[in-house]
Amino acid sequence: MFLQQLVNGISVGGIYALIASGYALIYSLLGFSNWAHGEVAMLGAYVALLFTASLQLPFIAAAIIGIGGAAIISFLNERLAYRRIRENKAPTMFLMIAAMGLSIVFQNGSMLLFGAKFQKFPPIMPVSSISIGSVHVGVLDLLTLAVAAVALIVLEIVITKTKFGLGIRAIASNTATAGLLGINTNKMFALVFAIAGALAGMAGVLLGLKYNVYPTMGNIGLKAFIASVFGGLGSVRGAIVGAIVIGVTEVMVSGYLSSGLRDLITFALLIIILLIKPSGLMGVSVEEKA
Amino acid sequence: MTPVLEIKNVTKNFGGVRAIDDFSVKIEPGKIHGLIGPNGAGKTTIFNNITGILTPCNGTIIFDEKEITGKKPHEIAQYGIGRTFQNIRLFSNLSVLQNVILACSMDAQYNLIDAFIRSPRYRRMEKQISEKAMSLLESVGLDGNCDEIASKLPYGHQRKLEIARAIALNPKLILLDEPAAGMNADESAELVGFILEIKERHEFTVLMIEHHMDVVTNLCDYVTVLNFGKTIASGTPAEVKKNEHVIEAYLGGAEGC
Repeated sequence: MFLQQLVNGISVGGIYALIASGYALIYSLLGFSNWAHGEVAMLGAYVALLFTASLQLPFIAAAIIGIGGAAIISFLNERLAYRRIRENKAPTMFLMIAAMGLSIVFQNGSMLLFGAKFQKFPPIMPVSSISIGSVHVGVLDLLTLAVAAVALIVLEIVITKTKFGLGIRAIASNTATAGLLGINTNKMFALVFAIAGALAGMAGVLLGLKYNVYPTMGNIGLKAFIASVFGGLGSVRGAIVGAIVIGVTEVMVSGYLSSGLRDLITFALLIIILLIKPSGLMGVSVEEKA
Repeated sequence: MTPVLEIKNVTKNFGGVRAIDDFSVKIEPGKIHGLIGPNGAGKTTIFNNITGILTPCNGTIIFDEKEITGKKPHEIAQYGIGRTFQNIRLFSNLSVLQNVILACSMDAQYNLIDAFIRSPRYRRMEKQISEKAMSLLESVGLDGNCDEIASKLPYGHQRKLEIARAIALNPKLILLDEPAAGMNADESAELVGFILEIKERHEFTVLMIEHHMDVVTNLCDYVTVLNFGKTIASGTPAEVKKNEHVIEAYLGGAEGC
């Protein structure tokens, strides 16, 4: 029972981590919380659903199209909305408000377009769980875990081992100086939004598989946001750790205590962390950002 | 000789304040050109216009026979203008070596796939870049500190690292914004020797803002004096020091004496 819950928790955490790492990346570059990020995940799920349910495409193909779609939507958010605000040298608060606006537009737009009802992916697995000894583990949970782990490891390699990643870290440290050293900052922002969008799309599809697809499923972005605050805003590794801690905590609380207490405990955990270490588990102190 | 950099009638307003007023200058190749003037004279604003952080309201900037007015900062960096800042701006979360490697990264001709499969091309490029970065650090005497976090270096070393990072762009022109800021007489004397030495070795032209007159006198071939965004004098350091407009700008009016 416990192991089963643990796998389930880590897999939920993996989904949070896919969204939270995008939050963290964008926050580290632009210093604002991209509230539309959860909706990007939701739209990715809808795109995949559209292709598999209506166009009868195999699930894998539809999932890839969904992930690509989310990447494009995220890129367009930056290209059409955020870039213009940045170039007007507006305060970052404006970016956050624009993101809230986008979030509302996406939620209500998809309600109009797809309807408010819950929709399901056609079943993709012949069996729903496998047994290892006396432990029953959901196949979907294992799949989620594997996909999230691979995606996040690739992300980590890109950030730490490539010149692109070095560029991201330089822009996070000082955008203007990075530009003066020949880094095309706008191109980097566009790429980062596309990558974050792809990860969110992945989370959306996995979430849709596990539960349902519906217009307000992007609210999961709030959990991912908590995870990234918990881990330290702007730190990708912190966001991943935070997401897994929150995923496991939630599943354990719902499993052993009561699902009604789930959010209460999550938020309490957040408050405790912020009281003990205000910059989050792995965050840099706020003064360094100034 | 064609100038490396030519600024023609550049004007920059901030709201109602005219920070630069019809400013023109020609920088000859291989020279060290000083830009001096009291605080608020518009010196750093000129640097910001050259490097594309700001766009002039009027006028043109020509670098290496190409017009660069209104280009993006990264494009101007790629044309070959490097710069340092009055308040040092290193990537404080990166190591000393990474700070320099980053500025070399334009030389890197590999893509993400190369990086993933660690292709021969990737390894060759990475090796080439880190060798270049190491030799630059060596030439500024920081090769022993390459793995330290940049912000942990002592102040004087941070200055040198910032200069090394600017050189990593292979610039034809380097803009130094108060390189001797916060240094005492001994340290600024050492800085003078250091700048002359690396300039010889890497063959670039320098445009520098400086307040320490001994540094200006010892380094600059030519000086332009700015006050309220206008050129009030120009010439060799010795000529400029005798100019009465300059004395007036720095020490206030001479009435009553």
